[in-house]
Amino acid sequence: MNPLELTLGIMTAVGGFVDISELVFAAKAGSMFGYALIWVFALATGGIMVFGEMSGRVAAVAKQPVFNLMRHRLGLKLGLVTLFASLIANLITCAAEIGGVALVLRYLTGAPYLLMAVLAAAVLMASMWVLPFKWIERIYGLLGLFMLAFIAALVAIHAPWGKIAGGFVPQVPHGLSTKEYLVFAYFAVAIVSAVMFPYEAYFYSSGGIEEEWGPKDLPMNKVTCTAGFGLGSLLSIAILASSAQLFTPANVSPELLGSSALEVAIPFGWIGLVIALLGMLFAISGAAIETCMANAYSISQFFGWEWGRHRKPWDAPRFTVTWTVLFVAALAIILTGIDPMQLVEYAVLFSILVLPLTYLPLLLLAGDKSYMKEHANGRFGKTLGWFYFALITAAALGALPLYVLTSGGQG
Amino acid sequence: MKPSDPLKVVSQLLDLPLIDCNGNYCGIVDDVAFTGGGGKEARLDALLVGPGAYRGRMPRWAMWLVRKIAGDRMTRVPIAKVKSIDSAVHLTGAAEKLSLHDVENRVRAHIPRVGAM
Repeated sequence: MNPLELTLGIMTAVGGFVDISELVFAAKAGSMFGYALIWVFALATGGIMVFGEMSGRVAAVAKQPVFNLMRHRLGLKLGLVTLFASLIANLITCAAEIGGVALVLRYLTGAPYLLMAVLAAAVLMASMWVLPFKWIERIYGLLGLFMLAFIAALVAIHAPWGKIAGGFVPQVPHGLSTKEYLVFAYFAVAIVSAVMFPYEAYFYSSGGIEEEWGPKDLPMNKVTCTAGFGLGSLLSIAILASSAQLFTPANVSPELLGSSALEVAIPFGWIGLVIALLGMLFAISGAAIETCMANAYSISQFFGWEWGRHRKPWDAPRFTVTWTVLFVAALAIILTGIDPMQLVEYAVLFSILVLPLTYLPLLLLAGDKSYMKEHANGRFGKTLGWFYFALITAAALGALPLYVLTSGGQG
Repeated sequence: MKPSDPLKVVSQLLDLPLIDCNGNYCGIVDDVAFTGGGGKEARLDALLVGPGAYRGRMPRWAMWLVRKIAGDRMTRVPIAKVKSIDSAVHLTGAAEKLSLHDVENRVRAHIPRVGAM
């Protein structure tokens, strides 16, 4: 393992971990339930570590991306259903991310939101065209490290570390009304969805192929998934904890994306505010690119087209047309005037509904000795994989009723 | 695995990606064709690639949709052109020579060759 590559990989994973849905739900969860939902973030982070590691391992050993093998494993019909479901979930998520970038640009410049959405989409598409895969991943991931300001802010406000540590223990708050318990459950489901968005594993796996991983890269894959995703998740937990510390006593509900940035502005003033907004800008921009590319990867791999951003755009023509069309479609959703916060709710809801369908093939592939040989899931990997599959299935079954009963977490 | 080895068509061949001699992706094994007939020895003759090969694998309404979106072209890849089979089907020839990159090339003609690093 090259230490520089490993460090860069971990830092990229940290900076690229947080997206708009985590920002929104972490801040809301902290203000409404204090530290009581930290354990759900930790639990879901375990899930994305497990499935992320599996997707990287499949890419490194079978030398084929997950969607190629998924079609072979599930067949054409069920494969198409899975493809379609993940396409819709990722498209809504991509639109929400573009809306988030536009909102942050509006906070920074004061320019009209829709104009910023068009500008953001143009800049992101240009960077997808110009930059090769590694540069796209590194630039947005590393600049997303501005988000570390949220951890610095948590230290600066003298956070109650004992209470935060207590939040890692699975718990349900006492003395809530039935409706409040339902809202708590809705938030738990939404956090699982936001942390385990299906695009993350598919993007990661395709990235492994783009960078030509082999079995020698398996230790790096394991370390990147555990350290990178684990440290990235601490950012979300810091946002939640700051929100609990600052917003709950003031009875403030952070309904806007910009409310999260106030967590850094309060201890560090306007410099903190700008750093937090820059961190959000690059983290959400990176997520917008990842969701769009994850969709283009999936379609291209499913139909056996040339794909990848390690190639020039004209060397993978249908892949290029696909990501261009998908990005324009996501922008078109934003230009309808839909509230991006509402879109975040839809993205989280739809993603959790399709999560079992998108992760089951991965679980089956990673355990299949005909592809994976001695690198197939062992007993420990299988147990963890099926535990998380049961968890996301339960969350998927509960998501829609909870969304309806709580009016999307409003109570 | 070589194409002449004993082969389970569905679990070891169908829906695998095709990779040409230059390492380029060039489709998926959408169906297979056999020679022979009733009472005769069946031999794997060709791999069928393209949306036209979905016929019989999808409901009629879905096939109508596929035809509208992607057309119904289908390319036959003679089994003699298959070099080996593992997690992909590796071909002995180039995708262009086997007519597997016709659409890629048609789309490529419309993409400007500027700006990318």
